Amino acid sequence: MTDTYTRLVSKGLGRDVAKKLGLPQPAVLRRYEPGQPLISGPVLVEGSSPGADALAAQLLEWDLDVRRHAVPKERLGAIVLVLDDLESPADLEQPVLTAAPSLRDLAPNGRVVTVSRASDGATPAAAAVRQGVDGLLRSLAKELRAGATGNGIVLAEDVSATSPAALGALSFFLSGRSAFVDGQFVRIGSTAGRLPADADKPLAGKVAVVTGAARGIGAAIARTLHRDGATVVVVDIPTAGDHLADVANEVRGTALQLDVSRDDAGQRIIDHAVGRHGHLDIVVHNAGITRDKLLVNMDHGRWSSVIGVNIAAQLRINEELLASEHFRSAPRIVSVASTSGIAGNRGQTNYAASKGGVIGMVRATAPLLAERGGSINAVAPGFIETEMTARIPFATREVARRLNSLQQGGRPEDVAEAIAFLASDAAGGISGEVLRVCGQNLVGA
Amino acid sequence: MNTGQPIILGEMPSLSKLYVNAAAAAARRRILGSPAGAGLPSVGHEVRGVQADVGNLTAYQHLIGETASDVLPAGFIHALAFPVAMSVMNRDDFPLPLLGMIHLRNVVEQRSPVRFTEPLDITARAEALRAHRSGTQLDLVAEVRVSGGEAVRWRGISTYLAKGVFLPGIDKASASVRPEDFKAPDPTAVWQLGVDAGRAYAAVSGDFNPIHLSVLSAKALGMRRSIAHGMYLASRALADVGAAKGDSFRWDVTFEAPVFLPAPVGLDISTVQTDGAAWLRSDYVAWNPRSGRKHFSGSVAAL
Amino acid sequence: MSVDGQSVTGPEETTNVRAAGSPQSLREAQSLREAQALRKAVVVGGNRIPFARTGGAYTKSSNQDMLTAALDGLIARFGLQDERIGEVAAGAVLKHSRDFNLTREAVLGSALSAETPAYDLQQACATGLETVLGLGNKIRLGQIQSAIAGGVDSASDAPIAVSEGLREVLLDLNRAKALPQRLQILARLRPKDLAPDAPNTGEPRTGLSMGEHQALTTAQWKITRQAQDELAYNSHRNLAAAYEAGFFDDLLTPYRGLSRDSNLRADTTLEKLASLKPVFGRNLGSEATMTAGNSTPLTDGASTVLLASEEWADQHGLPKLATVLDGEAAAVDFVHGKDGLLMAPAFAVPRLLARNGLTLDDIDFFEIHEAFAGTVLSTLAAWEDEEFGRTRLGLDGAFGKVDRARLNVNGSSLAAGHPFAATGGRIVASLAKMLHAKGTVDGRPALGLISVCAAGGQGVVALLEAH
Repeated sequence: MTDTYTRLVSKGLGRDVAKKLGLPQPAVLRRYEPGQPLISGPVLVEGSSPGADALAAQLLEWDLDVRRHAVPKERLGAIVLVLDDLESPADLEQPVLTAAPSLRDLAPNGRVVTVSRASDGATPAAAAVRQGVDGLLRSLAKELRAGATGNGIVLAEDVSATSPAALGALSFFLSGRSAFVDGQFVRIGSTAGRLPADADKPLAGKVAVVTGAARGIGAAIARTLHRDGATVVVVDIPTAGDHLADVANEVRGTALQLDVSRDDAGQRIIDHAVGRHGHLDIVVHNAGITRDKLLVNMDHGRWSSVIGVNIAAQLRINEELLASEHFRSAPRIVSVASTSGIAGNRGQTNYAASKGGVIGMVRATAPLLAERGGSINAVAPGFIETEMTARIPFATREVARRLNSLQQGGRPEDVAEAIAFLASDAAGGISGEVLRVCGQNLVGA
Repeated sequence: MNTGQPIILGEMPSLSKLYVNAAAAAARRRILGSPAGAGLPSVGHEVRGVQADVGNLTAYQHLIGETASDVLPAGFIHALAFPVAMSVMNRDDFPLPLLGMIHLRNVVEQRSPVRFTEPLDITARAEALRAHRSGTQLDLVAEVRVSGGEAVRWRGISTYLAKGVFLPGIDKASASVRPEDFKAPDPTAVWQLGVDAGRAYAAVSGDFNPIHLSVLSAKALGMRRSIAHGMYLASRALADVGAAKGDSFRWDVTFEAPVFLPAPVGLDISTVQTDGAAWLRSDYVAWNPRSGRKHFSGSVAAL
Repeated sequence: MSVDGQSVTGPEETTNVRAAGSPQSLREAQSLREAQALRKAVVVGGNRIPFARTGGAYTKSSNQDMLTAALDGLIARFGLQDERIGEVAAGAVLKHSRDFNLTREAVLGSALSAETPAYDLQQACATGLETVLGLGNKIRLGQIQSAIAGGVDSASDAPIAVSEGLREVLLDLNRAKALPQRLQILARLRPKDLAPDAPNTGEPRTGLSMGEHQALTTAQWKITRQAQDELAYNSHRNLAAAYEAGFFDDLLTPYRGLSRDSNLRADTTLEKLASLKPVFGRNLGSEATMTAGNSTPLTDGASTVLLASEEWADQHGLPKLATVLDGEAAAVDFVHGKDGLLMAPAFAVPRLLARNGLTLDDIDFFEIHEAFAGTVLSTLAAWEDEEFGRTRLGLDGAFGKVDRARLNVNGSSLAAGHPFAATGGRIVASLAKMLHAKGTVDGRPALGLISVCAAGGQGVVALLEAH
């Protein structure tokens, strides 16, 4: 589903012409397929802290070709900048500038991952340098080319660089699963989580519910969760049941035709999952609608239906989940937010309010799930190539899809990969977070 | 009356020749007048060793809605015997004009079943010349035996009317009986008879009487349109009675208004049972659903 | 329980058992004992596609397309992908000769295991219900553990036959060996032979359409226009309410852009229904009362029902909505006017209930297929008729009265439409869901009765019990 333009400029004559004209040259992104190595090429681990040593040891254990010092002219798969011991802005220069020349050697679709500490609760100087990593990484990501991305892992106090969620996040960022995630941070809030026994089946034995799964991103989520080993219950409104059935049959799951805004939706989801599959471990709130209109022309119908489906339904279902005895064993909730909810979008006041609401809801719900070892996070997609965005007029679509560091739109599978990661046991230490899957869109945070 | 031995014909008379002869005889009569004498021929005719054609039998069975079994439908035997009966009416000493005769009534006794494999001896004779309020009527009696056998398996009495022919020595019938008022019941079936219903039955029965074949041929004989064969209608009614009638039965039909083609025909079949719910009789009546005029009625009863 | 009932149905069945002593009767006694250990056949659930008026959304869809879609929806609902189901049986009333193996072909095109056997069945409009009863019996006997029953019909994509004349010529041509023979055969062709022969719903033995037949029965039982219109109105109202309540959310999968039955007129009124002109029975002596509003239209659609033994359902974590208790078929002699074409259920239901020691008062839900409003009302009238009860049913008086508040409470064929063979599956799945929701009544499981009339003067009825 790579767009025609990207295919055209990625090889041969098209590439040369685009280069001469100074046109954007989006790369064909490396995307995950089962059995694929985490990353090809050596991984340079830069940094001198105990965390850096431990992390390098862990990467060796994953059978990666680890370098603690750069070998000139050697093509690198990834650079991991371990910055977990910085105490003042002055500490930043040494590791960063040491690693800098190696950026030239970064292979196409390579990775830069920073590992740093959270600034909250730190001394002013420590906070300054830690927050400084934020600006550094986001800028660096914009300098990377050829499908390479830069992302960061932020460790809370008392969370080591080799805690399960940190390793989970590192492996996610290194792999093709994070192809369209760029310039983003995930915060590891706790040591909770567990790495999977089989890296290709991180969701083995899990029962997952995906709402809005009849098509687009929802269907991709169902496929990805199924690929990762989960038994999937796909949910969508009854009128989308035919597409839903196709998805269910494809992912060997079960279809539940249900309007998530019904009062009893949560109970029916629990009943179906538990009744048919014995338990319920993962709920992905993907169902969402848009009813765009400038606020000046907004009416009750457009407003209330968007709020009702996109956030009120999620809140109601979460309440049922939290009250249920069947959602107690390290449960996962992942909500689909939107970059509109972060950066805003003209004509989408209702939609952005609902998606901003999702982000707020996720933050506030995280502590409630922590007691039972659970987590809740949101994924905010940017421009994703779907049936919905295919209806945007050509010129607008072309602009929208190039307005990010990767100069292309993402695929539904890219969103699904982020969700699958957040739904995995490994991500247990990540909760209340919003992960953007936007190729580092120029708008928004 | 005519109790003598029948004349044995060497082969089955050809109906088309009989019709041609009849036309010639009619012309002769117009010129020379009716033959003297008002008596019926004293002899009957017989054809021996008649064998039903199985292909024709199947086509007949399918046309009238019978299952294509090996047993000859009672109406099919009527069609087999018809040329023999016609040949009697075609005799020079037959007192009435054959063409234009109207089939009033038909009674068949199917005493035991006849299979298509059995060669048949068919006799026919004319009987009971008598007056009718609008002419002269007589019965054509046909009997069918399995060749060499004694027992009559099938016996048919067809009553024909020579309309407007009054023979000397036969008293005029008393004042006409007013036909009872007929009110059509709810139908149990409605047949949709196409314009080709006459041709289709002619093809399986061999009865190519022009009044049944087409509008043109019927008009040539003074009809406004072609009409359905009476025995086709009666045979369909018999078929509709179904398996309840068993192997031996009495089947009668009285014809009233002809069915001009094409036409829908309303039909009502009702079953009369004994107290023990055994089949006793099926009565049928057919009419024109538009005008409500009765076409024919009859019954099939256990023998 | 029906086993007990069957053992007392007549002296013929019991004499064999009484003649004890011979090895044969011992074997029979043994098999009778084994038969008493019959299992339960339960309805797990169902799936159908919305029913579409002919010439509408499914115009270009074949029976196989629609049956496959209904199957795939069922598979998705119950997670049956790659499952080897014991047997699948379905059928269609209007069937192309190329669809000689319709159900098996649909299975092969579905997400079920390709090792799932299937057969076609046809009993006119009772096809769907008969597949449920037949497969249910196989489950009860332990021959299979799971089954999918179903039916499909398309009046849009109905087979068109060549004329009899052309057909005979073509067949003879095929048999002919030499060219001159072939030319001779071809010379038999007449222009009219080239006109195709479209199927009609007329009864072969009477030439009357089903509507004309029902018009006779409707008149015979003196069913008024108003009563028929009211029944039609209730059907639409009940079906619309069921959709609003989400009743069909887990009974139906959209198809070809339809997510509701296209015949449903949620906004119809008695006035609108009363304004329609009669279409059947216009040549009868009495007033014509049957309109397009109180008769079912030609419809396209498909339905499926998942049946299983209790063990299979449990092993698969699937619901057990209702038990298929018993079924009965009847037929009437409509050819000779003894009974109306669609009156067979009037005889089948009394026999079924008597065998099970039940009366109409014991039934919590009546699902009487609305071929025509007149069909339902004539049946109810016959049951309430003293003379009919005495002379035709052999009872002391009238058979009984159906509580109208329990009749077709979620709508029926007048509103949903009636794709002949698909109607049985629609009813069984809906009734099973209703019974399951009702649970128990006065301490006993809720009971539901299904009655489906069929061409050829037939009727199939069934008894379901909440599980």
